[in-house]
Amino acid sequence: MREKILNLLSENASPDAVAWLRETISSQEAAFEKRPFYYAFSGVSRHFDKAGRLPADADEVFGGWDQYRLARVALLLLLAPQGKEVFVETFHAILNTADLREQVALFSALPWLPHPEDIREAAVDGLRSNIVDIYDSIALDNAFPARHFSDDAWNQMVLKAIFITRPLHRIVGIADRKNQRLAEAISDLAHERWAAGRTITPEAWQNCEGFINERLAHDITRISESEIPDDRAAAALVTSTDRSGKLENLRDSLVAELSHIQSGALTWKSLGQSMEEKLVRKSLT
Amino acid sequence: MRFFDSHVHMVSRTTDDYQRMAAAGVTAIIEPSFWQGQPRTEVGTFKDYFNSLIGFERFRASQFGIKHYCTIGLNPKEANNEKLAEAVLELMPLYICKEGVVGIGEIGFDDQTKAEEKYLIKQAELALEADLPIQIHTPHRDKKKGTIRTMDVLEDVGIDPSKVIIDHNNEETVKEVLDRGYWSAFTIYPHTKLGNERMVELMLEYGAEQIVVDSAADWGISDPLAVPKTAALMKDRGISLEKIEQVTYHNPLAAYGQSGQVSEADWAGSEGIDPTALFEGNTLLRGGMDVETAMSQYLIE
Repeated sequence: MREKILNLLSENASPDAVAWLRETISSQEAAFEKRPFYYAFSGVSRHFDKAGRLPADADEVFGGWDQYRLARVALLLLLAPQGKEVFVETFHAILNTADLREQVALFSALPWLPHPEDIREAAVDGLRSNIVDIYDSIALDNAFPARHFSDDAWNQMVLKAIFITRPLHRIVGIADRKNQRLAEAISDLAHERWAAGRTITPEAWQNCEGFINERLAHDITRISESEIPDDRAAAALVTSTDRSGKLENLRDSLVAELSHIQSGALTWKSLGQSMEEKLVRKSLT
Repeated sequence: MRFFDSHVHMVSRTTDDYQRMAAAGVTAIIEPSFWQGQPRTEVGTFKDYFNSLIGFERFRASQFGIKHYCTIGLNPKEANNEKLAEAVLELMPLYICKEGVVGIGEIGFDDQTKAEEKYLIKQAELALEADLPIQIHTPHRDKKKGTIRTMDVLEDVGIDPSKVIIDHNNEETVKEVLDRGYWSAFTIYPHTKLGNERMVELMLEYGAEQIVVDSAADWGISDPLAVPKTAALMKDRGISLEKIEQVTYHNPLAAYGQSGQVSEADWAGSEGIDPTALFEGNTLLRGGMDVETAMSQYLIE
């Protein structure tokens, strides 16, 4: 993992900066010391380009990441072999004193760090941030929550993503961590929104698959009649996997959407991606 | 004109101040770590204070188009609580290499005790280790002796005077500070420090080389517009624009730029930021009017 990051940086960052990073890593690997590690972790900003980032298609995982974040994740991987006590103490020391970009790097590194049970609370707490970059670094494209969060923490994360309109298709494991309480909470949220004359993101309904009761059947029926195409697509996606039998009567009105699902053209992923693209286009115009 | 106020404690100031500063041309500021008006009793409060300097305060300033930097340090007053001082010294390495940290400061002497000297030395050593400039607070009482003693201590540690900004100078201290190769900063602070007419006199006598003008506005009766007001007074008294720009912008930038953490490129492109864009309508109008009123009386005594 670290070699991969270093190679990506070699191709995109200044040779001096990468040489400094390699040197720091090898000297810290030979003899780990906290203070030089602190200096290096924050001092990344003294060596790398403030605005430099990888092209989006440079890598499946790290594409689009900025140089500070990559370099700091490479440094954090040094902590793994240091023993539990040193690891936990150092991790929290730097997290508790981190600036915004350092926090993003710390949370991005979670899936590759040891002792998840000792850093889980830090991740849950990080999600309480009002800073979108910090929220995103934990909730999106990050395998840690699906693997280590309790249902309660998971549900809070997903509900907040809906509240602050983050792209749900980028939450790793969203198809696997569905649960009854989350499905009901989403129904409640939808009813609140509808009462206020507002909408809820169609992506939310993925969390209700497999938990269709009378109330949710009613909700899905409602969105199947929506004027918004993405709502009807979501209704069709829920209907296509439904085994409760409560949505059978929707099939006739969703023929076109269901055929797109059959052909593989419509999935939760494709729906989420097209919604995110529309959002980006809208914000650019 | 644009200004760089290299000493101002914004955590104690309001958004009205930020608006007026932005409107008066203050482009970048440095917030030194300092005493909070009453002694802190726990190291955790220092941590949260440092966090606010690199976090929320930086963000708050950015909302007004002002670039915010800071120096990290244990001030001399609190150096006398040795147990706390040790803990703060343990904490500082976590901060000093961060983005936007342009020095160790403000440190120096207050009562000129042994403990103060001990932590001045330790922090000077940290500055050497991290290759950072030092921002010096000179004492209110027994200032001349305290200033000389500060320079002696720093030189014993092996600090290069050109990497040190000695602040709160006056007519009594300036000559030796300049002669020994330090940057000499002057705080325009009503009543207790230096009025800006005296500053004009000092400029006429010593020129602009190695001279820095700042406000040190804080939780006391002080003036966050001290730098632009002093520039206005200097212009009025016939000092050249070039020299005014040197002491209110270029010199502090050169002195703290030695950290590698601040350069003109940071605000290139944001030049001419229009605070109206941020505060639509009447809020802006009020800020603008305040500036005019405030700047029309630019004498600080």
